[in-house]
Amino acid sequence: MERVPILKIGDILIVSIQVDLEDQSVLTLQEDLAEAVVKHAARGVIIDISVVEIVDSFIGRMLATIAGMSRMLDAQTVVVGMRPAVAITLVELGLNLGGVRTALNLEKGIALLDHVRSAAR
Amino acid sequence: MTPTELLRVRLGDDQDVFTVRRIGRVAAELAGLEAQDQIRVATALSEIGRELLAMASPAAVIFGLTPGELVITFERDGGPPFQPSEGVTLARRLMDDVRLDQGGGVITLVKRTSANRRRVSVADTRAALARLAPVNALDELREQNRELAATLEEVLRLNTELQETNQGVVALYNQLSAEMEETNRGVVALYAELEDKSSQLREAAATRNRFWATVSHELRTPLNSIIGLVRLLIGQGGDPLADEQRHQIGLIGDSAETLLGLVGELLDMAKAESGRVDPQPTSVDTLELAEQLRLTMGPAAHSRAEVDIVIDVAEDARRVFVDETMLIRILRNLMSNALKFTDRGEVRLTARLDAAAGGVVLAVSDTGIGISDADHERVFEEFYQVPGPIQARARGTGLGLPYARRLAEAMGGTLELTSSLGDGTVATLRIPHHMGPPEVERILVADDDEAFRAGAHRLLSDFAAHVDEAADGVAALELMTANPPDLVLLDLLMPRLDGGVLLQRMAEQDLLRDIPVVVVTIAPDQAPEGFPVLSKQGLRRDQLLEVVRAAIRRRGDD
Repeated sequence: MERVPILKIGDILIVSIQVDLEDQSVLTLQEDLAEAVVKHAARGVIIDISVVEIVDSFIGRMLATIAGMSRMLDAQTVVVGMRPAVAITLVELGLNLGGVRTALNLEKGIALLDHVRSAAR
Repeated sequence: MTPTELLRVRLGDDQDVFTVRRIGRVAAELAGLEAQDQIRVATALSEIGRELLAMASPAAVIFGLTPGELVITFERDGGPPFQPSEGVTLARRLMDDVRLDQGGGVITLVKRTSANRRRVSVADTRAALARLAPVNALDELREQNRELAATLEEVLRLNTELQETNQGVVALYNQLSAEMEETNRGVVALYAELEDKSSQLREAAATRNRFWATVSHELRTPLNSIIGLVRLLIGQGGDPLADEQRHQIGLIGDSAETLLGLVGELLDMAKAESGRVDPQPTSVDTLELAEQLRLTMGPAAHSRAEVDIVIDVAEDARRVFVDETMLIRILRNLMSNALKFTDRGEVRLTARLDAAAGGVVLAVSDTGIGISDADHERVFEEFYQVPGPIQARARGTGLGLPYARRLAEAMGGTLELTSSLGDGTVATLRIPHHMGPPEVERILVADDDEAFRAGAHRLLSDFAAHVDEAADGVAALELMTANPPDLVLLDLLMPRLDGGVLLQRMAEQDLLRDIPVVVVTIAPDQAPEGFPVLSKQGLRRDQLLEVVRAAIRRRGDD
């Protein structure tokens, strides 16, 4: 089972999904992330799926779950780097990511989080 | 139409789902689909694959191609019926067609392609996809499968070899048993033949004996008439005869008597031959017997003054337990032979104890002409005589030695000759079962059953020097009065005077009162008290002797 690494920049946690995730990896990632948010008192989580080619309902649900969980812990989640084909497919599947915010890339994702925070301040 | 199969992979766990959708994507690409459609196909496969895994329903995934379609089929191994659910709904949104066949056992996903965009041949597609196929479990399985197949092949080969060996063994076995059977048949046939021959021989021997007996008997009657008539003719009171006539008639008489002697020998031989001789062993004093022989044979020896008869009997060989008559006949035969063929020197009769062989050796040696090696055994053949001048002079039928040997064998002994031409002859008679002195002198068997008396006589023959037999109580009483026995074997049920009365009579007489009695009866429970009792049934020698000894000892102690 592969463990997805969680990076921290300031109060932002960055997760880059590089491989196809198994069920167990997904569960582990959710737990690790929740713990890291609490531990670092993170305000934002960025999930980078720029290398992910296929996002099916399972991955979609995962993203929504992570976003929901983070929100509970007072952190905003942004999914960044979604490929166009993936986006099209998600729309065709009729999946919405449960109100997960998206950004085109990591940079924009960080900017989005900063913007949200400053707005909140 | 049936799609051309490109690849078949297993769907069993998470990893397989990734593999399947990766292959699906490449397959879609090779089938000429655009990038977006490739993602659609892969995502649809992912949805269906996860759905099946969630149901724990493994399946085979078959990628196929028709001219206008990419066809992906999930063949489930079984499991619960497939309920169309979210996965199928989602897949339907991405694919051109999703079909559920055979109650959900087979799920088919179809994506239309445009054939003219396809640039890769089916074969190349297949090869490209094969490279993507999982290298993990499936390959391992295939490898194992191959090994298994190899092992199986080896086993089959060994099996074949074994079968061949087996066939060889069976063939060998069959051959051997056939040979055995053949041999067996031969043996059986041979046996039957032997049986046949031996019965013929027995018959011939019986016929010969009957012939001898008849002839001897029929010859004796006229011979006796001739001898009687000769005596009448030359005896007193007859008509006077001329000297010449008297002489001739005397010759007729002599010849007739010689002939009668020969016929007698012949009859004896026939009797011995037919096995009708029944030795009646008694205690014999060999020294006494030898002296008697010397006296009776003496005249023959003294006619030739140069021959002495020497008797040499060892002290420990004096008492022998044999049939006296038979022993005398054998020795007389041997000695008369020895005297016949000895011109000068001596004829010696020796008796020795052969402790090792448990018997007595009686030897008659002479200093006569001897017998050549070639004739050693022939002299035991009936009517055989060694040719020679002395033999021509001596009279004989050639029956003496065979008869002596027959008797020796009837007594359980052997008779052999050692001799060489010119050095005299030693005839050796070995009699086994040299008994020590009998333990008691006389036993009386009183029983009306003749067979039992004979049996008891046989059992006691070397134990007692004399065994008297009485067929009823009166005879028993007379016998025991005349010769008081050391012990009486008494049957209770007898004619004239039964056992009980006999016991009373014995008790009344001083002479007989102390004679020990052993009661032998067929009904032991009815025997009077105070006497040892034996059952007639299954009477054994050791048992009988034990009881008899005990009875004698007890009477001695009183």
